[in-house]
Amino acid sequence: MPDVILKNLPFLLHGLWMTLNLSVWSIVLGTLLGLVVGLVRFVRLPVLNTLALVYIEFIRGTPLLVVLFITYFALPALFDYHTTAYRAAIFGFVMFIGAYLAEDFRSGLRAIRPTLIQAGLATGLTRWQVLRYIILPQAVRRVVPSLFNQYVRLVKFTSVASVIGVTELTGAGLLVNAREFHPVTILATLAIVYLLLCSVLSLAGRTLYARFAVRT
Amino acid sequence: MNYHFDWTPIWAARGLIAEGLTMTTAVSAAALAFSTLVGLVIGGAATADSRAMRGLALAFTETMRNIPLLIHMYIWYMALAFLRLPAFTCAVLGLSFYSGAYVAEVVRAGIGAVGRGQMLAALATGLTRLQAMRLIVYPQALRIIAPSLASLFSQLIKDSSLASVIAVAELTYQAGAIEGQTFRTFEVYITISLIYLVLVTAVSQLVLLIPGSRSEAAAGRFADA
Repeated sequence: MPDVILKNLPFLLHGLWMTLNLSVWSIVLGTLLGLVVGLVRFVRLPVLNTLALVYIEFIRGTPLLVVLFITYFALPALFDYHTTAYRAAIFGFVMFIGAYLAEDFRSGLRAIRPTLIQAGLATGLTRWQVLRYIILPQAVRRVVPSLFNQYVRLVKFTSVASVIGVTELTGAGLLVNAREFHPVTILATLAIVYLLLCSVLSLAGRTLYARFAVRT
Repeated sequence: MNYHFDWTPIWAARGLIAEGLTMTTAVSAAALAFSTLVGLVIGGAATADSRAMRGLALAFTETMRNIPLLIHMYIWYMALAFLRLPAFTCAVLGLSFYSGAYVAEVVRAGIGAVGRGQMLAALATGLTRLQAMRLIVYPQALRIIAPSLASLFSQLIKDSSLASVIAVAELTYQAGAIEGQTFRTFEVYITISLIYLVLVTAVSQLVLLIPGSRSEAAAGRFADA
């Protein structure tokens, strides 16, 4: 390993840790948000459906960087609360990825054949039970590839948190570069680490999909 | 919530916003053209008969896609600083190789969807391989992949906001500048997100104007690659 990386290894590793931390929190919370919003859209709950639509369209038309500026600068100014770059970043990532995941979940839900739902209701299950035991298990498996596409995208996007001052991998790399000035080595290292992270994540997605595929 | 709304500074800064919008459009248009080129070449190579070509194309797309766009930009701007490229060029190159890899994936899927028979028939009529690609395969593939291209291109416009980080004075950069002068944080960022929304919607509708694309919208499944 090049000297400049070895010398700053603990700092860079801490950055990597922050990247993983941001990714995991955003993926977990974002998936929950996406699932809830996707369900709201699927069953067309009155009022909430419209709100969900506005939310999805707004986020899908806005760059991630602007979403982060909104959660870090604009919303705290509007509602008069304090936040940290870390919390604003997670908030922004969750809102961002949630909108895309909601659409994925909705299309997965819509791919379930209506006859299955009717059959479930006919056997005496309640609507909630049909959702819980018949629709969701199939829908979730069906959307695994799109979910993991979004997760990989999110891991790459966590690098943008460096712009609002979170010292994750990219932020740490840039700070090291500012002190040592070895841009080629440092950026190449960052690129390789992200490459590995994303490859592992998409491999995990493919494995999961193959393992739990809906067999018809 | 006792935030005092004041939109007048935003209106006063409309000149800056317009400049930013022009720059965003310029960066996006240049990157759009160049990433389409990258996508056509690499996507074509990914369907070539030669195993080595396919391997190279796959390695290229996997590498480019799995490196964050921000790193792409910093690589051109900082790591390759000895090239002395202007920030604008760095942003365009970074965006083009990143999005180009996604376009390549879509193009590959589109060529696959056209069917081998078309290529073989074209070759049988005496066209060369390049002519067959240009005249027979690509036009059909383009229609199939138009919806996916629309979503990739709207992604690209949004991604161009990262050019602000290497000091290209596009929309997001100008928003930061206006915010710094006026402190109308909320108003500024809401305004520019609405501008992006309009831009993105316009582009995704424009791509669907490609003749025949809307009817074959089934290819939406290649979207969001």
